[in-house]
Amino acid sequence: MERAVPLVVPLGQTEVFQALQRLHMTIFSQSVSPCGKFLAAGNNYGQIAIFSLSAALSSEAKEESKKPVVTFQAHDGPVYSMVSTDRHLLSAGDGEVKAWLWAEMLKKGCKELWRRQPPYRTSLEVPEINALLLVPKENSLILAGGDCQLHTMDLETGTFTRVLRGHTDYIHCLALRERSPEVLSGGEDGAVRLWDLRTAKEVQTIEVYKHEECSRPHNGRWIGCLATDSDWMVCGGGPALTLWHLRSSTPTTVFPIRAPQKHVTFYQDLILSAGQGRCVNQWQLSGELKAQVPGSSPGLLSLSLNQQPAAPECKVLTAAGNSCRVDVFTNLGYRAFSLSF
Amino acid sequence: MSSESGKKRKPKVIRSDGAPAEGKRNRSDTEQEGKYYSEEAEVDLRDPGRDYELYKYTCQELQRLMAEIQDLKSRGGKDVAIEIEERRIQSCVHFMTLKKLNRLAHIRLKKGRDQTHEAKQKVDAYHLQLQNLLYEVMHLQKEITKCLEFKSKHEEIDLVSLEEFYKEAPPDISKAEVTMGDPHQQTLARLDWELEQRKRLAEKYRECLSNKEKILKEIEVKKEYLSSLQPRLNSIMQGLAVLPRLECSGTIWAHCNLRLPGSSNSSASASRVAGIIVTQAALELLASSDPPASASQSAGTTGMSQGTLAASLPVQEYLFMPFDQAHKQYETARHLPPPLYVLFVQATAYGQACAHMKSSQPPRQDKTLSVAIEGSVDEAKALFKPPEDSQDDESDSDAEEEQTTKRRRPTLGVQLDDKRKEMLKRHPLSVMLDLKCKDDSVLHLTFYYLMNLNIMTVKAKVTTATELITPISAGDLLSPDSVLSCLYPGDHGKKTPNPANQYQFDKVGILTLSDYVLELGHPYLWVQKLGGLHFPKEQPQQTVIADHSLSASHMETTMKLLKTRVQSRLALHKQFASLEHGIVPVTSDCQYLFPAKVVSHLVKWVTIAHEDYMELHFTKDIVDAGLAGDTNLYYMALIERGTAKLQAAVVLNPGYSSIPPIFQLCLNWKGEKTNSNDDNIRAMEGEVNVCYKELCGPWPSHQLLTNQLQRLCVLLDVYLETESHDDSVEGPKEFPQEKMCLRLFRGPSRMKPFKYNHPQGFFSHR
Repeated sequence: MERAVPLVVPLGQTEVFQALQRLHMTIFSQSVSPCGKFLAAGNNYGQIAIFSLSAALSSEAKEESKKPVVTFQAHDGPVYSMVSTDRHLLSAGDGEVKAWLWAEMLKKGCKELWRRQPPYRTSLEVPEINALLLVPKENSLILAGGDCQLHTMDLETGTFTRVLRGHTDYIHCLALRERSPEVLSGGEDGAVRLWDLRTAKEVQTIEVYKHEECSRPHNGRWIGCLATDSDWMVCGGGPALTLWHLRSSTPTTVFPIRAPQKHVTFYQDLILSAGQGRCVNQWQLSGELKAQVPGSSPGLLSLSLNQQPAAPECKVLTAAGNSCRVDVFTNLGYRAFSLSF
Repeated sequence: MSSESGKKRKPKVIRSDGAPAEGKRNRSDTEQEGKYYSEEAEVDLRDPGRDYELYKYTCQELQRLMAEIQDLKSRGGKDVAIEIEERRIQSCVHFMTLKKLNRLAHIRLKKGRDQTHEAKQKVDAYHLQLQNLLYEVMHLQKEITKCLEFKSKHEEIDLVSLEEFYKEAPPDISKAEVTMGDPHQQTLARLDWELEQRKRLAEKYRECLSNKEKILKEIEVKKEYLSSLQPRLNSIMQGLAVLPRLECSGTIWAHCNLRLPGSSNSSASASRVAGIIVTQAALELLASSDPPASASQSAGTTGMSQGTLAASLPVQEYLFMPFDQAHKQYETARHLPPPLYVLFVQATAYGQACAHMKSSQPPRQDKTLSVAIEGSVDEAKALFKPPEDSQDDESDSDAEEEQTTKRRRPTLGVQLDDKRKEMLKRHPLSVMLDLKCKDDSVLHLTFYYLMNLNIMTVKAKVTTATELITPISAGDLLSPDSVLSCLYPGDHGKKTPNPANQYQFDKVGILTLSDYVLELGHPYLWVQKLGGLHFPKEQPQQTVIADHSLSASHMETTMKLLKTRVQSRLALHKQFASLEHGIVPVTSDCQYLFPAKVVSHLVKWVTIAHEDYMELHFTKDIVDAGLAGDTNLYYMALIERGTAKLQAAVVLNPGYSSIPPIFQLCLNWKGEKTNSNDDNIRAMEGEVNVCYKELCGPWPSHQLLTNQLQRLCVLLDVYLETESHDDSVEGPKEFPQEKMCLRLFRGPSRMKPFKYNHPQGFFSHR
């Protein structure tokens, strides 16, 4: 851990403000560029920073290369979610989704390519967008968030084609079942809903908090994270992190961790999860904890696996959360260094 | 006849009555039961018309009977007597009837009279009433006409025209929406406005009167002074008699001017001219005496000039022109060491510039910055006597150091203490700067010059206009030691700014200057800059020379900083006084930042030591970020609501309020929650620390700390009220939701609605 030595250099007004801003920064989202060499991270002040993974991982990396290549103000509110297509970076947060060209972003003064707002029913507060999901087969984007609905946007034309209604509270997360065009969504109301994209109908509902094995009423019923592997689904949040068999909709494994989890993903034959607490957890499917790798943030909100085939040397796991740092794990058991805003 | 009628009466009555039964009974009543027959009552029952008929008939009968009797009598005969008797009886009966009728008539008459009388009386009464009513009517009519003829005073008042009224009157008087339609209200409003304006004018009039009075008095006093000037001027003339021609002519000119007829304004101009000329003379004398190299003749002039000035002293005094005083100060200033001299000159110049900018009044009366020199001139002079051989030793400290060691060589075994004292010796003269703030609190700064170290130090003292009675346990905000700490970032005044000093210290065994700072004053960097001393870090210079331009470029910003520092410290002082009593003193102009009802309240506000702060488990982030230096002040606040206790560790930067206080939180409620295990606590910290600009309030935002604390109370309310209720736990929620929120949670980290929207009063997400 190469924590910066506490500077006792007294600071002026702007320095203090910047220090405080960094101190209270939360990185909500990450996305790796299609070339695999850059990582974008979005924070609670609406800024997006682009880090160069290749420079930071190279042998002659200096302290400088762990700083962002470029930082720009993307949104007015927090950047809750980002995804990358093969040319664009899509970012969303305060009710709008914006597209940026990866090729131009590294230049100064980058302007967004386009911006879209889903058709909201008018309300006092603009609902936020918590999750973005690309559906490559039909070249569309699914947005979900504060208005309790899933909006499908056609990336070709930029029009909103479908609205999927069913959730009774806002939606935290989305996951795509690769084989059949089905989407899973988990929300604050404690339900995981399975949607068929062809018919735009709700196929299945799992109310996780009603199952005694995983319900934890003192934490609430919200579903904070969701990942799927066609037949299997893992979800966590207020209820315990649980592996489900989708076809029979029964919980098979309850993972023994107390802290609510905010991000979960399948990786090879492992499940990686992160949430409240400093560690990235690695689980066997059977429910055994394989490893807990400590990071530098007190709480983690997002994990990102760089698996772009274009840059095999940049194959890393990055984790970010309640700090201005993005932890980089070169292999799963070891935190190599932190990128910092 | 009467006896007959008495005998026949009763049957007649009965007959004539027409109601024999009743008459009988009546009679029997009167006889038997002592009740008497009432003829009056009978009258009412009889018809007068018929009575009249009866009367006529009876009279005819009587006439007939009389005629028959006469006829019979004249005929005569035997049976005539019987017939006559019979007739007589009949006529007697008729007489009776007549009598009865007569009585009845009498009674009727009486009754009629009575009635008439009664009616008359009634008529009289009615008449009287009528009279009264008529009178009343007349009176009322008179009143009405009087009322109609009444003229309100206001009609005589010449009001401003309607358009003008609506244009000029303030809306609380004009009330356009009410008065536009209602002429009565309108007139009232206009009258109100008239009254208001008249009141103002009256006030103005009074002011003018008092002003006039004052001015008259002043004129009087000035006249007196002018009249008493004559003898004094004479004495000056005598003194000047020996002086060069120029000065004499000047003074004489002044003299002439003064003898002008003393009208009020000309006397003022005269006095000014006189002052200018006297000063001119004095300055010229000074100029001539300036080069010290000039010979005895010039010395003589100086002596003489001093004599002249002494003689003109009373004049200056009378004219409120303390040129001599100023001159004396300048004279003393010549003995100041170069850095103090630079400071003195620049500060004086700045002070005068400020005073001139602020008002065209005589600049000496109300200035915010006053400069003075303290200390004994003689000692300073004594200091300058020997250095004829080594001129530069006051700037070149190394040389001085060598000199002292040389001088001390014979007694090399002397204690180090003496050497240290010598090293830290101050120049006997010091410059006093008094900086006055708007609220009449004064910052006294005393600048010293350490001759051997070639640095300047400052001691500060704050005096307030009103005595601060409340004992403050929370820190020494106004203590001379800390009040000026970190005026510029990092300038804590503990280390010597002159790099050369370290070597000097090594020689005499001083570790750091900070041990002596209390006694000597703080050698802040800005003090050196005000004195024109600049110590470059990179290339050490051999000699550092006091530089005017450096001092001038720093003077204004430093003075402004000093002023804001004092004001912000006083504001903090005030806030602490109420915070200690658990009151968060939110001012009315910041009220809009918070909802009306705040349940959480401040319980404790105490100062804590720096070390204690560093050891708190929830302040690690701040320490790591380097925001917890030892120059800051540290406090602990405790906010409570029900069973929930929120601890807040506060770092107060000396640069408050441009640098905000920093809060770290720890909530004790259903377990301990800090920013590392609760995102919402982290968000609350962010709200007060990062979004502090919303809480600044009106410039210069001295209320920031109070507002941050109040905001923290509001945040705690929101946090507790929106905490999701655990269904498995029995019983009601401890904190029912009273705040209006659009949504309870938002975003991946499930933030609570901490942002307060002012006029609508609801909470939303940032």
